[in-house]
Amino acid sequence: MIDHIVRLGRWGCETLERLGDAGIFLAQSMFGVPSAEGVRLWLRQMHFVGVMSLAIVLVSGLFIGMVLALQGYTILVDFGAEDALGQMVALSLLRELAPVVAALLFAGRAGSALTAEIGLMKATEQLTSMEMIGVDPLRRVVAPRLWAGFVALPLLTIGFGVVGVWGGQLVGVQWLGVFEGSYWGNMQASVDFVADVGNGLLKSLVFALVVTWIAVYQGYALVPTSEGISRATTRTVVYASLAVLGLDFVLTAVMFGGLS
Amino acid sequence: MTDSPFVEVEGLHYSRGETSIFRGVDMAIPRGRITAIMGPSGTGKTTLLKLIGGQLTPDAGRVRIAGEDVHALSRKALFRLRRRMGMLFQSGALFSDLDVYENVAFPLRVHTDLPESMIRDLVLLKLQAVGLRGARQLMPAELSGGMARRVALARAIALDPELILYDEPFVGQDPISMGVLVQLIRRLNDALGLTAVVVSHDIKETLSIADYVYVIADGQVMARGAPADLDVDRDPRVRQFVHGEPDGPVPFHYPARDFYADLLGAGGPK
Repeated sequence: MIDHIVRLGRWGCETLERLGDAGIFLAQSMFGVPSAEGVRLWLRQMHFVGVMSLAIVLVSGLFIGMVLALQGYTILVDFGAEDALGQMVALSLLRELAPVVAALLFAGRAGSALTAEIGLMKATEQLTSMEMIGVDPLRRVVAPRLWAGFVALPLLTIGFGVVGVWGGQLVGVQWLGVFEGSYWGNMQASVDFVADVGNGLLKSLVFALVVTWIAVYQGYALVPTSEGISRATTRTVVYASLAVLGLDFVLTAVMFGGLS
Repeated sequence: MTDSPFVEVEGLHYSRGETSIFRGVDMAIPRGRITAIMGPSGTGKTTLLKLIGGQLTPDAGRVRIAGEDVHALSRKALFRLRRRMGMLFQSGALFSDLDVYENVAFPLRVHTDLPESMIRDLVLLKLQAVGLRGARQLMPAELSGGMARRVALARAIALDPELILYDEPFVGQDPISMGVLVQLIRRLNDALGLTAVVVSHDIKETLSIADYVYVIADGQVMARGAPADLDVDRDPRVRQFVHGEPDGPVPFHYPARDFYADLLGAGGPK
């Protein structure tokens, strides 16, 4: 019995220590005066984590918009309310699906790659040799990746939402025959820019920070062996997905649940 | 060795988890000489280099480089001090996304404001010194182990450091690249007057270039002296190591229970 309590206590202490460690890591790498070289490195990472994730995010957005319209239509048509399809698709996408699904896809596509890349740099002593050359890897390797993720995910989320709304129109209007004017008109009347678009983007910013932070920290702190890299990559996807879904509930409760 | 030592290690204690690695190590690395740190595998030679480079923090004791206490420095000051050091890693540790030229240019680009033409000259000079000027366009993945280590050496001396730390420079090299590396290390030292620390267990090669040798084992300095002194050292542990005897005070067998009992002991642990 005592043993279990001791183990629980130790686990608690270790978790707290790791969280503190990750917090210091975030503070040390995120804040600093950017140099011209830093901007160049950041742009390069924007290409890797942002541009390279475009395809998967946009294609997923298209399909999710299409499925939403299809599912929504079959339910709404029973009540003769298929004119509300536009607002249903837009609100589901902007408030929930775009930020959440884009973040989950981002964790799988870019997050795991970030962890593996930084982990491999650690395993091959590249980070250590950078330190010995007198260059801080937190500033040189971690910071550009963190900032790239932080900026790229909200942009990807916008892309996801736009393509999703268009996909919904494709199915609802072009295929199922919902009147085009009511699809767009109802959407325009019911979507509030600050409450819906703004809150969705805010969610996405939070997810961007959390997912990228988890990814780079897992890479930086992993055990530098092949097993360590594989475990850390898995952990990135698992932790990031859980964090996104958990935080989404909290944020939704505050933003839309009348808690504020 | 009349002048003050460049690196001083005093009463160094370090342990990893439950395992104690160093129990009171004292060393003085003289300026402008090649000092070898030798010892059997697993004695923590690489750990010692990491302690000197400030990547690890000792449990007790001090490391001073050019009079500065490495572990009392702020992160910023430590990085400034490291610009005066070069380190050659066992794996080379070249940046895999940069080609040979850019790898050698890396320290120059981040620490100096030199114009591109001068960086080019310096990089070519360093690559010429290690004999790989013609390989400047290759990526690290295209290099053999020996070539990678020579590029890493060119990178380590790019900023003309005062101190250079070699981590097992001869491991896994064929006889030709081994000879090339031995010669390079000696020549760099003679030509540039660098202070060098070579961590190795390749006795013949290391003793042929070292001016002074420390042998560490069991977390302590077991012997010290010029290479010639070590050859005639009477301590059985030093003799076993220097002459490469398979069994002696450092046992051939990992600690185990009695062999006879182990063979007959059915039902015991596998």
